Amino acid sequence: MSVAAAKIEAPYKAGFFTRERLDSFLPPFIGLAVGAILWQVIATIWNQEFFPPITDVIRRLGELTEQGKILSNLVTSLTNLAIGFSFSVIVGVTLGMLMGAFRKVEMALDVYVYAMLTSPSLVFAPIFFAIFGLKNIQYTILGLIILYSIWIIVVNTAAAIRTVPIALIEMGRSYCATERQLFFKIILPASMPMVFAGIRLGMGRAVKGMINGEMFIIAVGLGGVAKAEGQRFNADGVLAVLLVIIIVAMVMQKLVQLLDARVTSWLPSTARQGKRRANAD
Amino acid sequence: MIEISGVSKTFPARGKDAPVLALKDVDLRIEDGEFLTILGPSGCGKTTLLRMIAGLAEWDKGEITVNGTPVRGPGPDRAMVFQAFALMPWATVRDNTAFGLELRGVPKAQRRERADELLTLVGLKGFENRLPGQLSGGMQQRVGLARALAVDPEILLMDEPFGALDEQTRRLLQEELLLIWEKTRKTVIFITHSMEEAVLLGDRVALMSPRPGRILNITQVPLPRPRAAAVDQIEGSAEFAKITANLWGQLREMQTIRVHAGEEPAA
Repeated sequence: MSVAAAKIEAPYKAGFFTRERLDSFLPPFIGLAVGAILWQVIATIWNQEFFPPITDVIRRLGELTEQGKILSNLVTSLTNLAIGFSFSVIVGVTLGMLMGAFRKVEMALDVYVYAMLTSPSLVFAPIFFAIFGLKNIQYTILGLIILYSIWIIVVNTAAAIRTVPIALIEMGRSYCATERQLFFKIILPASMPMVFAGIRLGMGRAVKGMINGEMFIIAVGLGGVAKAEGQRFNADGVLAVLLVIIIVAMVMQKLVQLLDARVTSWLPSTARQGKRRANAD
Repeated sequence: MIEISGVSKTFPARGKDAPVLALKDVDLRIEDGEFLTILGPSGCGKTTLLRMIAGLAEWDKGEITVNGTPVRGPGPDRAMVFQAFALMPWATVRDNTAFGLELRGVPKAQRRERADELLTLVGLKGFENRLPGQLSGGMQQRVGLARALAVDPEILLMDEPFGALDEQTRRLLQEELLLIWEKTRKTVIFITHSMEEAVLLGDRVALMSPRPGRILNITQVPLPRPRAAAVDQIEGSAEFAKITANLWGQLREMQTIRVHAGEEPAA
């Protein structure tokens, strides 16, 4: 019996390319491959200065890397992103929780948060620049990253706290939970899925804020490289930097996603997929 | 012993709605070790009354005491089982069961042992590490029951605990509740809208009527105990049929008066 069982199981266990792995890797891989081929074909046929084929873009990316323009600027950009986004998460989640928990705090701050959420944060860039000047350029970029990302985190966190099921809070009270216990043992874990939804949306916005600041206000980091290439009408250079930015954004997004999956692993898989769809910003 | 005397509650006016007299002069006495079922149509205030005993809701007039002490909030002497289970979806079955103990600061090893003991009692041995979402409704409510029993309360407050379950699961859980109750002999207040359930489980059935919510009368259930092993016989007996028919007659009257005449039923 055991021999037969082993034979049946064998094909599924063998090697790295299990059925499940292939199923999860193959569709995005094929999607990317088809996209790249289409890009190449259309760009070659169309033959426009501003739409170079992907091979040219990758060659330019190689050149820029060799000139040392990518790596050092990538480090600059990522450092700013890490500092600014961490600030957004810590302050944003705290503020959101206060707003979600205390009706009066929410009533007082609601109008500001929504105003900031809907206003184009880039308009603050010249103001930051005027305040911090050339000497502290980094602060301007940080300010933009934070302004771009923090409000969606605040709004989502506040909503997360408000929508914790009342039934669970009643349950906690009936078992004599203190206010502190209610918060840490019920409200906090129950709000995690939505808090993370906000953090993920905030991540995308943080990257946008960083690049916008670097490109349009002060030419530093990856955005600075893109701007310099653009001014020389190097479409392949601009797209090369864009490629790097997209990869950075995707890696960051994936990191947040992994953390999210760890913290909210209790969510049923259907809810998780629903959440992912809702997050497609 | 729980004593409820002259308890009234009015929900204040909301927008265009007039104030609602939810409970009016409710008097009720529940002896230690008694299984009291409260039966009534929806909107009669039975859940409100239970939440007051639990210390989760306030009232305007009257007094509720548990063993002579006025109820001012939730207490360790009472534990509640909820209609919608109210399990924490992120916590395992074991952690959910041990939640009351965790809040009281019982050390981990000890509360784990106690939780496993109760999970065995409610028939969930082997499911300790599952999440609530992986369980059926019936199993989830077993966790809810185990969680309440884990804190070893004197009084078990059960708010239509089987109301959200299908008929078959419900019957099984009724039997098991009887079995567990006959072992532990806790004071139980059990809310239901099913007269069969009320009669099968209770020593007494308090019938409530709506608008305003009040106790209409209390029926003694003279069916012998223990009942867990004889549920089928009990439900087939003439006595059982007589009591449930009588309760149904009264319940139907509450509904028909309102439908046909649009009047409040006479007290």
